[in-house]
Amino acid sequence: MKKIFFVIVFAFFALALNAQIKSANLQASGLTCSMCSNSIFKSLKKVSFVESVESDVEASTFKIIFKSNENVDPDALQKAVTDAGFSIAKLTFVLSINQVDLKEKTPIEIDQKLFYFINTQNKVLNGQIELRLLDKGFVSPKEYKKIKSKLYSNGEKRVFNVDMNI
Amino acid sequence: MKTLILFICLLLATHSKAQELFTYTEPASNIPAHVLSTRLMSSFFKEKDGSGTNIHFMPEIRYGISGKWMLQTQAFVSNRNGNLYTEGGGLYMQYKFLNNDDVKRHFRMALMGRASYNRADIHQEEIEIVGHNTGYEFGVIATQLLHKVAISSMLSHEQAFDNGKKYEFPNTQANNAMNYTLSFGKLMLPRKYTSYNQTNLNLMCEFLGQRLHNNGKSYLDIAPSIQFIIKSRARIDMGYRHQLYSTMERSAPNGFIFRVEYNFYNVLKKK
Repeated sequence: MKKIFFVIVFAFFALALNAQIKSANLQASGLTCSMCSNSIFKSLKKVSFVESVESDVEASTFKIIFKSNENVDPDALQKAVTDAGFSIAKLTFVLSINQVDLKEKTPIEIDQKLFYFINTQNKVLNGQIELRLLDKGFVSPKEYKKIKSKLYSNGEKRVFNVDMNI
Repeated sequence: MKTLILFICLLLATHSKAQELFTYTEPASNIPAHVLSTRLMSSFFKEKDGSGTNIHFMPEIRYGISGKWMLQTQAFVSNRNGNLYTEGGGLYMQYKFLNNDDVKRHFRMALMGRASYNRADIHQEEIEIVGHNTGYEFGVIATQLLHKVAISSMLSHEQAFDNGKKYEFPNTQANNAMNYTLSFGKLMLPRKYTSYNQTNLNLMCEFLGQRLHNNGKSYLDIAPSIQFIIKSRARIDMGYRHQLYSTMERSAPNGFIFRVEYNFYNVLKKK
């Protein structure tokens, strides 16, 4: 029993240590003016696991640094943007990842969420990588329509689809 | 004067790249969730019978309940009968039901509803539940943003009742109307954004019309305005409203409005 417990704890730490989401780059859509951009900025800053936000008003982009050792929830970021009255056009996560074996049709778990890799071949991920989220609400509606049929879903767990072709 | 305003408006409409925080109308975009917006609107309209200037003050509080729902409450203060007098108040709600966003552009639609109480005398055929009549209004708004240009339109039905117990709505007048607006706005400055501290300059031109049911009387106004957005959280509007034509009795159709607005973020937000 004790052994199993240690194995589980070890597995958990191994996963947690193997991949960590450090930061995100978010492009918002539906706005031009600085007042609109400021609303998104204030809304993102209030998200519990966000450490800091830097914005580029002209490009409607936001660089978000996350607090270390806190779970990053993409849905909370999406809600922050829609609450401000706008949408996400593009969201990418910058991860530091340590020797994770990527296999087709097999998700990897990061921050207790499952990530499926789309259009990616089997390989070992190592170092700093950037992933683009492809699910509804994280890309433009036009783009979502195009890729919809390729995406995975899971009835029980929140699943995210990502690619590395940024 | 009229030709000049019309010219500026046409110039804006054709060259237009605009912003949508209109001075005289609401866009289909709501204020963000958990933003508390405080406003003071003052208007100065010249009385047609030469009795002076009709001054109104309207303090307002707006709150974004969610990304889709917005609530607004305002009070109506006026000098129409000598001293400043609180004539009533109003409640406004807006629900955004369509939101198509793309980078630097959007198309949005919203439903709006307003209910107002006013206890001042009824002195004109025009129905205006913001500051003159007791009544309600409901309608639909559509707004298109194309980079620096915004175009917005509203269509609504407005119904007036008696003003308090003292002033019955005259049964010789039409007590309901259709309102229609068309607004253009353009972001003029800054040419390129570098920070939230830059002052934004927006130019706007709006057309505001009403048609009374039953008797078919109508008016159309043109309303150019200039707007400053300061530190991306405060706003100053200055506008002039001018009657293009009217077949109904209006006591003070031409005049200026000034508005100041300040926004507080993340108010009443659960952690």
